[in-house]
Amino acid sequence: MSIETKMAWRNIWRNPRRTVLTVCAITFASVLLVFMLSFQFGSYETMINTSVKISTGHLQVQAERYREKKSIRFVIPRPRAIAEIVDHIPEVAAYTFRAQAFSLISSKDRTYGVVVTGIDPQKEVTVSRLKKLVHAGNFLSADDANQALVGKLLAKNLRVTIGDELTLLGQGRDGSIAATVVQVKGVYSSGIDEFDRSTMQIPLATFQDTFSMDGAVHEVVVIGKSLADIPGIKAKLKNALSDLDSGKPLRTLDWQELMPGLRQAIEMDLVSGLIFYGLLIIVVAFSILNTFLMAIFERTKEFGVMMAIGTTPGRLTKVLLIESMAMTMIGIIAGILLGIAITYYFQIHGIDFSGGSELLSQFGITGRMYPKLSLLSISIGPFMVLFFTFFAALYPALKIRRLQPVEAMMAI
Amino acid sequence: MSRQTIISITFLLHLMLAIIRPCPAMDANKIVTDGFNYWRGKASIGTVEMLIHREDWERTMTIKAWTRGQKDSLFYIAAPPKDYGNGTLKKGREMWIYNPKVNRVVKVPPSMMSQSWMGSDFSNNDLAKSDSLLLDYEHTIIGTETHEGKTVYIIESVPKPNAPVVWGMQRLKIREDQIWLSEEFFDEDLQPIKIMTAMEIQMLGGKLFPKVWRMRNVDEQNRYTQLTYRSLEFKPGLPDRLFTLSSLKQRRR
Repeated sequence: MSIETKMAWRNIWRNPRRTVLTVCAITFASVLLVFMLSFQFGSYETMINTSVKISTGHLQVQAERYREKKSIRFVIPRPRAIAEIVDHIPEVAAYTFRAQAFSLISSKDRTYGVVVTGIDPQKEVTVSRLKKLVHAGNFLSADDANQALVGKLLAKNLRVTIGDELTLLGQGRDGSIAATVVQVKGVYSSGIDEFDRSTMQIPLATFQDTFSMDGAVHEVVVIGKSLADIPGIKAKLKNALSDLDSGKPLRTLDWQELMPGLRQAIEMDLVSGLIFYGLLIIVVAFSILNTFLMAIFERTKEFGVMMAIGTTPGRLTKVLLIESMAMTMIGIIAGILLGIAITYYFQIHGIDFSGGSELLSQFGITGRMYPKLSLLSISIGPFMVLFFTFFAALYPALKIRRLQPVEAMMAI
Repeated sequence: MSRQTIISITFLLHLMLAIIRPCPAMDANKIVTDGFNYWRGKASIGTVEMLIHREDWERTMTIKAWTRGQKDSLFYIAAPPKDYGNGTLKKGREMWIYNPKVNRVVKVPPSMMSQSWMGSDFSNNDLAKSDSLLLDYEHTIIGTETHEGKTVYIIESVPKPNAPVVWGMQRLKIREDQIWLSEEFFDEDLQPIKIMTAMEIQMLGGKLFPKVWRMRNVDEQNRYTQLTYRSLEFKPGLPDRLFTLSSLKQRRR
């Protein structure tokens, strides 16, 4: 251990109470940052994954203009070709086909405009939570025809229950009039009012038949194994699609493009979080600055003596910086360890959020939230603390270079 | 000149001006109402070919239409065979549609009134609220032009306060012989949205009548719906039972 380190270490513990208080401030800030960041990232992942599993999926392949204008004519003519591509991407967990059309749905005495989606009952289960959302009746099965799942609020508005008949009137892909009668097989409730009020699901085969789709679909919905895999899958899909002669230009959209509202909500939350963290770090930095300024005023005489017996100002600066960095490091390491411990506990057990479910249900979150530890969430906060305290400590450490030994020794 | 003469001349001039100057509001109202009634007739039976044109796609339907007065209409699709028998009944401001495949009559709900009718550029509202122009708007003549040697009145129609209207303004061109030449629809910000133009004026059903009507979105040249009259016959009247829900259901075959 060099002489500077030794001196710095001794200096730190010369006033243990002050040191402990400073270290505690740093520890507390680090714990808070680790936990809050993990919690934010965890809640984003929950939000994304639940939203994604309600309807959009992580990724979708669509016809060029379908996203802007949901016209029934913007189709993927040969979905099998895309299925083959998706089958060969190892990061893909599941995929399904869907087709959609806006139609008039009427019960005996009521009529509403509804987005009717054709789903593949077997594959849909692997991609979305729809089956779990069915709370009355049953989910569609593979050989169902002319059966329908209806949103809870829509069922209420139409005044229908399981087994009732609904008339569907819309416009087919070729412009012809699409009409059929379907029987309500199940009612689902997602907690998202808009979804429960204005959507209905029928088997894809029935949809294609009714709307003269000629085997075409509107969306290939893809779920990746994890959120981090999505950019990779997207790139691979894009590449493969550009080689594919599909008749019509297709494109790949990820969840951020499919749900810009969700991305914006996350960005907004992150920004307000960052402001809070910035304030926290500034407070900690000032407390460090304060500690060191005090140390200098207190120890002016000591520095004067040291300089008088030949200590160079450079060495003094070095000692002071080692002192401050050692304290910061102790605080940060303690903070990270404690932060991980606390966060890990909640990562396993979750945090009860049933009180805020009204607000959160629009993002598909109900009940518990789970923070998620990651290298980023553990390191970024404490690193910022380290960065700012270093600069806070630099000022007093450089200040002593200007001390005159004789004057300094005269100080109290 | 004595003071008296000046006064009497001024008086006379005023009197003359009052006689010469027409009352524009009344005139415009009359032109619009007469034009509308000329267009609709007392009652009519017609066959119309509806062409829906899009940039990469086109579709034609043949529609049989019965109209009566300003409010009642009944439409049936005669071709293509796939859509044969689909019907629409409009009575007052309400609309019902009938589909032979499911054999059901469905009332078009208010929330769907702005949707397109049969995939065309006409909305359900264009049909259901066609008489709104007469009832809910105030008309002013803003200019004239000539068309085939006849005077054409350009009329701006602004909604009456609190009237339940779809458009912020409409601009009409009506020829002096009561033939409707065009109707342009503006939104609340007075931006033009779509325009309906009449073409090929010829003898139809015993009077001069535009054979072709085209509804086009103002900002899209390549997207329009065109109605071409294949036959048109004006009648003094049509029976009440024609414009009922049961008639809408029976007309299939």
